[in-house]
Amino acid sequence: MAPFVFTLSSGGGLKKIHRRLEVASSYDFEVTGGDIIDGIILDTFDNEIRRSGRCLLQISQTLLLINILNGEIVEQRCSNWSFLSELEKGPVAGSLKGVSRLRAFIPVSGIKIRRDRVLVLDDEGKTRVRIHWFSFFRKKKSLRLGITQPLRGYEHAHTELRKLLVEMHAEPCTRTTDIYSGLGVNSRNYSAKPDIRLVPEDAIKNSATAIICAYLDVAVQNEAGIMADYDTEFLHDYRVSFRKIRSVLSLFKGVYSAEQTEDLKREFADLMKQTNRLRDLDVYLLDRDDYFQLIPETSHEGLKIMFDVISKRRKEEYKKVCKIICRKNYRHLIQGWSELFASTDNMKIGPDALKSSNCYLARSITRRYRKVCKIARTIDHTTADEVVHELRIHCKKLRYLMEFASPLFSKKKVKTLIKSLKVLQDNLGKFNDYSVQQVSLGMFMSEQSMSRKKGMKVAESIGALTAMLYQLQCRERNFVMENFSHFDSEKTRGSFAEIFRVKDC
Amino acid sequence: MKIIACYSNKGGVGKTATSVNLAYASAMSGKKTLLCDLDPQGASGFYFRVKPSRKLKKQAFFKDVDCFIGAIRESDFDNLDLLPANMSYRDFDIFLSRMKNSRSRLKKALKAVGNEYDVIILDCPPNISLLSENIFRVADKIIVPVIPTTLSERTLEQLYEFFGDKKYQRKKLLPFFSMVQRTKKLHKGTIVKLRKKYRNFLDKSIPFSTDIEKMGVHRAPVLTYARSRPAAKAYEDVWNAIQHKIKL
Repeated sequence: MAPFVFTLSSGGGLKKIHRRLEVASSYDFEVTGGDIIDGIILDTFDNEIRRSGRCLLQISQTLLLINILNGEIVEQRCSNWSFLSELEKGPVAGSLKGVSRLRAFIPVSGIKIRRDRVLVLDDEGKTRVRIHWFSFFRKKKSLRLGITQPLRGYEHAHTELRKLLVEMHAEPCTRTTDIYSGLGVNSRNYSAKPDIRLVPEDAIKNSATAIICAYLDVAVQNEAGIMADYDTEFLHDYRVSFRKIRSVLSLFKGVYSAEQTEDLKREFADLMKQTNRLRDLDVYLLDRDDYFQLIPETSHEGLKIMFDVISKRRKEEYKKVCKIICRKNYRHLIQGWSELFASTDNMKIGPDALKSSNCYLARSITRRYRKVCKIARTIDHTTADEVVHELRIHCKKLRYLMEFASPLFSKKKVKTLIKSLKVLQDNLGKFNDYSVQQVSLGMFMSEQSMSRKKGMKVAESIGALTAMLYQLQCRERNFVMENFSHFDSEKTRGSFAEIFRVKDC
Repeated sequence: MKIIACYSNKGGVGKTATSVNLAYASAMSGKKTLLCDLDPQGASGFYFRVKPSRKLKKQAFFKDVDCFIGAIRESDFDNLDLLPANMSYRDFDIFLSRMKNSRSRLKKALKAVGNEYDVIILDCPPNISLLSENIFRVADKIIVPVIPTTLSERTLEQLYEFFGDKKYQRKKLLPFFSMVQRTKKLHKGTIVKLRKKYRNFLDKSIPFSTDIEKMGVHRAPVLTYARSRPAAKAYEDVWNAIQHKIKL
């Protein structure tokens, strides 16, 4: 039997509610009351907790996780933590398994909480139902959340209690937003992949502008998080948004005038360049443990010195990026883009601007898919690395085109195709990462001056690491052909033809 | 899932108190535990304030698995459920003997709930009957509370003989001393003698204690109201020793 999760706004105080329930039933209500204490609602920036129908509260050194969907309540002690990986093992950490380990938990709102536990007892003093009451207070608003806990073998008592509560106007609570809105908490609605509404027959210039506008908004939403340095995903999402905007400008050829397209591409590229270094350093630090695992312990000392340097460099780069975001000319640049992309009329259009969106994108995708296949089919064990890199770039372009087009075609089918492409892309991505890492490790020594002794240790570690990365790169390369053969299957080709076939184009 | 039967062919040896406290200790150690009160005279249910089941009629018990499962009651403690006794079990043996394949019924019923529980503790009636024989077959271990007196010595001997005659696995029997009074010479002497004779005696024992007698007043396991007292500690030790023996 499922617990009853409800909110109760009328009925007076808890004492009054229990007295009424006692009169209406044959049970006694034993209450263990709590005090009103300060707490914080926590969530990741992209609301993973709220979206999964849960509410995470930190009350002093205790974490409390309430699942609105199934009534499960878990809690555990905690000390200073921001990331799931920093949380000690416990019931809350266990329940949060699956939530991004890269995302920091940040405050949504401060609230006051009172918690009361109630035992519904029969004439033998045996508990038949438990009730957990949470009274939340925020500014002048308050909300009472109740969760019943049925006991096996006493389902009848639970049904009876639920009926009485409904008669007292208890409202079933099914979403975390019911709690947020009841307390006047503004819930963020951030998504790195915004839901963009496109119309198939609409001119492609309108679709392109709508996509750019949406991603510009995503980038702006990440600025505060980058400055606060909560986690590395803010910068990552920020950069992906700009990369997508640049992809629209370069892949949607003939939609805007060539001159304006070039100007915009240059402006966006200039801005992106300024965050490249910080992202690279972030990736290094995120992969820190993996690097240590790659080489023997005897070489760890040099790696430790290297990562100390990287951490220092990261601090400097972070300051630089913050300065850029704070600058007046950056604000003007963003403001200018926002105004420019607010309406298609502001843009100088190109020869294909008025083509219907679905026709334009279907053609672009089909062409790009053919190109990917053409390159991939030439790849064997003797092909130069440059060709594999070229394939990676074309796959990325194809992926973006498919993502942009998905609102215009069968979303589900496009998603399945993207999934099959993703396997190949992950493979190519790793191949590229290993190759880039080898180059940048080589540059590390020349960029950094250090004592002879330290330098020797670092050089030894970098040498060992580079050898391992080379091996890994070779391994990934061997997978490319195998992964491509799946992507080039008759079924995938058929799916492309079926999904992106548009009549009267 | 492990099935542990708490059995003695002699009454008044602290069998129900043992079942109740071990079940509680098992649940507290994080094991999902079911305590089956199979003794109509026993009071496992009483100690957990659970009323005897009206639903569980003898015709249905073990025969209708759904009915068996439906009679399970959640206790007031985490991880601990109870199958309350029913007075009609009194004729249960006769009922079982009439049924075909009756020996497999208990196994079938326990199997049905087995996936839900890590440990099933059976509080058994104090006699050798068809039900007890069923229990001897299905249980992984049979813990036997023994008061260190001459009479108890005799009953334990009878139990071992019975196991021998019926070719049941004697190694399943795990006797331990219950209601031990260290001040009594007889108790001390019997303990030494029996430990020598039966090698698999648990080295932990339960003392005679007023804290255990107060269970009827508190209607709860000793571990809940006298947690730091020797009796509570003894039950915890016995449970740990059993866990070790059955590799839980």
